[in-house]
Amino acid sequence: MLTAELREQLEHFVTDWETPEDNRLDARVEAINLLAAIKVLHDVNWGYLAAITGLDLGDHLEVLYHFCRAEKTLTLRAHTADGVPSVCHLVPYASVFERELMEMFGVEVYGTPDPSRLFLPDDWPEDSYPLRKDATL
Amino acid sequence: MSTNNPEHLTIPIGPQHPALKEPGHFELVVDGEIVQRASVRLGYAHRGIEKAVESRNWVQNLYLLERICGICSHIHATAYCLGVEKLADVEVPPRAQTIRVLIAELERIHSHLLWLGVAAHEAGFDTLFMYSWRDRETIMDVLEQLTGNRVNYSANVLGGVKFDIEPELAETIQQGLDFLEKRTRHYLNVVTTDNLFVQRTRGIGVMSFEQATALGVTGPTARASGFEQDLRVILPYGSYRDFAITPVVETAGDLAARFVVRVKELLITYDYIRTLLDNLPDGDLTTRFPRRIKPGETIVRVEAPRGELFYFIKSNGTDQPERIKVRTPTLCNMASIIHLAIGLHLADVPMLLIGIDPCFSCNDRAISIRGDQEEWSWSKLRQFAFEHYGQAR
Repeated sequence: MLTAELREQLEHFVTDWETPEDNRLDARVEAINLLAAIKVLHDVNWGYLAAITGLDLGDHLEVLYHFCRAEKTLTLRAHTADGVPSVCHLVPYASVFERELMEMFGVEVYGTPDPSRLFLPDDWPEDSYPLRKDATL
Repeated sequence: MSTNNPEHLTIPIGPQHPALKEPGHFELVVDGEIVQRASVRLGYAHRGIEKAVESRNWVQNLYLLERICGICSHIHATAYCLGVEKLADVEVPPRAQTIRVLIAELERIHSHLLWLGVAAHEAGFDTLFMYSWRDRETIMDVLEQLTGNRVNYSANVLGGVKFDIEPELAETIQQGLDFLEKRTRHYLNVVTTDNLFVQRTRGIGVMSFEQATALGVTGPTARASGFEQDLRVILPYGSYRDFAITPVVETAGDLAARFVVRVKELLITYDYIRTLLDNLPDGDLTTRFPRRIKPGETIVRVEAPRGELFYFIKSNGTDQPERIKVRTPTLCNMASIIHLAIGLHLADVPMLLIGIDPCFSCNDRAISIRGDQEEWSWSKLRQFAFEHYGQAR
């Protein structure tokens, strides 16, 4: 799915590859290497960031960056303990995705240009993250 | 958003405003007539659907997700069905796949005609608005005859569709398409040649190919800037695999091009529906579907009337999903407004906004760029209202 050259460049940051379906490739990266991996994609103009998905896996959170190019989807998956870096300086329109991730999952996004709320009402409690599994509404 | 220049005036619009069809808040900083800065804040129609799906079963969620949007409801249900069927390894009968796509294309017609009317209205061309909405009724009647509903048709079930296209209905659809084709050719002529109208669209809100890719726009908005991205072509699903559809691409990148792309798409869609009606496969409408779905993850990308609709679905072996993530096309397109509004006349901003065919409920997520101005919380606003009307409690 990726050219050999691109895959080799990403290889430095990726700990595990998986092909869950046709046209899909999942790459597991450490949160600390996330920005470097996205920079590789950005430098060769590979696809666009279609969405950022947060997942609550019980004992930890996982953040998925879905990059789409034509029919292909490359997903960078990172476990987060203390947050992820902002990618807005590379992908300016990621701001809305990051704000949603922060308020819904309580994932810290370092250096995001606008950390304010996106969807939740102004008087929503500070420490309540509705898309976490332990949040009951 | 504040400004130190005394010549600059900040105009707040919305969230409740007579000129807005859906709730959104816009702030425009103007110098005379010219927009210097723009910001938008949405979220007023956020309903927490992504959380709600986690406590409902796979069948209930079909109905919930279809209600994300009142215009492109079927495409949400289709995206969801395609994903869940992939996770469950269920093959949908060919006739059902074709009917699904057929309804999706009928939906595209009524969505684009609705948009044409709203856009014409914003341009002050209410005659075109009235005519295009009158014509749209042709499709609404077909959808009602087919499914019993004008919107939220609930045509999909997991593993197939509920409704069959009978020969009499096929004949009604054909007649409707013949009528609409004549009308649409006329509209194409109007939006490209009517002097007054063209003055409102040509050369306004120009987005280059480079900007379109950098801002991440999608759907007709992207295709009007020469960015040939149509998921029905690059990642065909259902009957798009059997019968190819031709994407409409324009290169001018202005509002006029966005009109031309959508109106030409209507013509392509009429032809495509005729092809489907002529080649409707025989067979069942549904197949058996399990109640529980084995653990897995899938991604679905489909072409909604407004652009790419993205679904991420994760199952955990139970009868309820673990997580469903929805990314709607308006989110991708909204960011372009803030960039393109700068330098425009204030009067052109509604046209620019309507040019992306925004769907607020569908999306409800966007950007707030505010400065040091105090923001009012809901409780503070309530308090103010009670005091103002002398009912403080």
